[in-house]
Amino acid sequence: MAAAWPGRQTGHGSAGPAAGGQASPEAGKPPALEIERVSVSYGKFLAVESATLSVGAGECVAVIGPNGHGKSSMVTAVAGLVRRGGTVRVFGETLPAGDPGAAVRAGLVLVPERRHLYPDLTTRDNIMLGSYSRTRRIRARQAWEDVSGVLDMFPELTRLLDQKAGTLSGGQQQMVAIARAMAAEPRVLLLDEPCLGLAEAVARRVYDWLSMMAETDMTILLVEENPVHALMVADRAVRMYKGLVERPEVAPA
Amino acid sequence: MSEFLNLLAAGLTSGAIYGIFGACLAVWFRVCNILNLAVGDFAMIGAIGTAEIVQQDHVPFAAGIAVVLAAAGLVAWSFDRLVLHFAFDRRGGGHGIVSVFFYTFGLSLVLEGVAKAVFGTDVHGAPEIWPGPALAIAGFHVQRAGVLVIALAIVSGLVLWAYLRFTVSGRAASACGESVLGSRIVGIDSALFRRRIFVATAVLAALFGIVESPLSGFTYLSGPTISLIGVVAAGFAAFRRPGRAVAAGLAIGVAEAMLGGYVSTSYNDVLLYAILFGIIILRPEVLGLRTAAA
Repeated sequence: MAAAWPGRQTGHGSAGPAAGGQASPEAGKPPALEIERVSVSYGKFLAVESATLSVGAGECVAVIGPNGHGKSSMVTAVAGLVRRGGTVRVFGETLPAGDPGAAVRAGLVLVPERRHLYPDLTTRDNIMLGSYSRTRRIRARQAWEDVSGVLDMFPELTRLLDQKAGTLSGGQQQMVAIARAMAAEPRVLLLDEPCLGLAEAVARRVYDWLSMMAETDMTILLVEENPVHALMVADRAVRMYKGLVERPEVAPA
Repeated sequence: MSEFLNLLAAGLTSGAIYGIFGACLAVWFRVCNILNLAVGDFAMIGAIGTAEIVQQDHVPFAAGIAVVLAAAGLVAWSFDRLVLHFAFDRRGGGHGIVSVFFYTFGLSLVLEGVAKAVFGTDVHGAPEIWPGPALAIAGFHVQRAGVLVIALAIVSGLVLWAYLRFTVSGRAASACGESVLGSRIVGIDSALFRRRIFVATAVLAALFGIVESPLSGFTYLSGPTISLIGVVAAGFAAFRRPGRAVAAGLAIGVAEAMLGGYVSTSYNDVLLYAILFGIIILRPEVLGLRTAAA
């Protein structure tokens, strides 16, 4: 059951997959993200079975598919949050399994499903802690000065900086989660169901922002159950079904 | 007037004891949502251990303090590596009453048993760090050990408050207690924070035991009482604010002393629980348990 899912027609730098869900390497440069035979098990249950996927630099790839087929397990394993088998490389650098700190330092940052903010900390602290891997030895005020530029992308958060994150609306919390990830200065951004639980109008705004990001040289791997949402921003999409990444046969135009 | 000042001095001294253990409990609870019910036992180890090796084994006082503090830190580190690491990092931890209370309650029982076997059941007190007669200042008298107790409590509370408020590391420590997954996502090693702060508060409690023991003396059974006092002070500080725990401890100590001095010492416990009850009714959010499991 193979299928093709052409993404948005933007004339983006990467032409999408050559075949088999693989990004075409540009002049010998390694892909931004290589996922090779990654597997994830929870006890005896195999959630992800030998997933292989490659994302070129500047490309936006969507992983779509029904709930419970391993999409979130794959990205959380890639981000080092759950144990996995297989290999993950970021711009050619192999990441150790189960080490989220190493993933962040390599430039791989996850916006998780359901956001996982720090509800009793302020919006400012939530965003600032995105930069923890490079600012952990300095004072909070200096760290904030280092990352406050992310507010240019989310100006509406400016008036919410001193509000506790747990008191924000769902859409505002999603903005904070993305801003926190951007504070880490990612080279590869993983987004897991960024619109889960959001009203349609709010979801559309999140996707407007993602479209803007996809126009930059940011590499994005987007997990999304809703293919309509996903193909609004993605260059191409692959489908996960029963823990396997299915491979489209046809590259998008 | 001098009676008031003497009661104030006594209240500040006992309040500092409340406050310091409240601060130790609050800062660790803030990081990992576990109550350290063994904090008083670390104080007991500090006091009795120093008394033993200085008075019985004739080890120089400074070296004895260093050895005992290192031992307390080693015990805390080993407990984290052998118990908490497997319970939380390997097996996903768990929430609820078992994780909040029983791991450290078990440690408390073990430390009591070991202390009884090694040190016996006698009352011990470490030598005074600042020996000499009580200080007389403006009409009130205060023991030198009491001055050190108050100073150590205030300095510890201020240092912990500043660490949490002004440093990225302190904010990261708070984030661990808010969301373990959320903290790991940005590269914060929540297990490392849990371990470091557990060891640091164990060493601080042991140091406090050494400083305080000339005033009250310690037996192998002193730990749980101290831990319970710490829980009450931490409760007044939402179990999360070490600076406020010290302030609350001092205030409770002074209130108790005044009540004891001017009315009757029989009402000390009544006062403590009346204040706690009033806060539960009027300002429940101050206790902060609403966000503890977030």
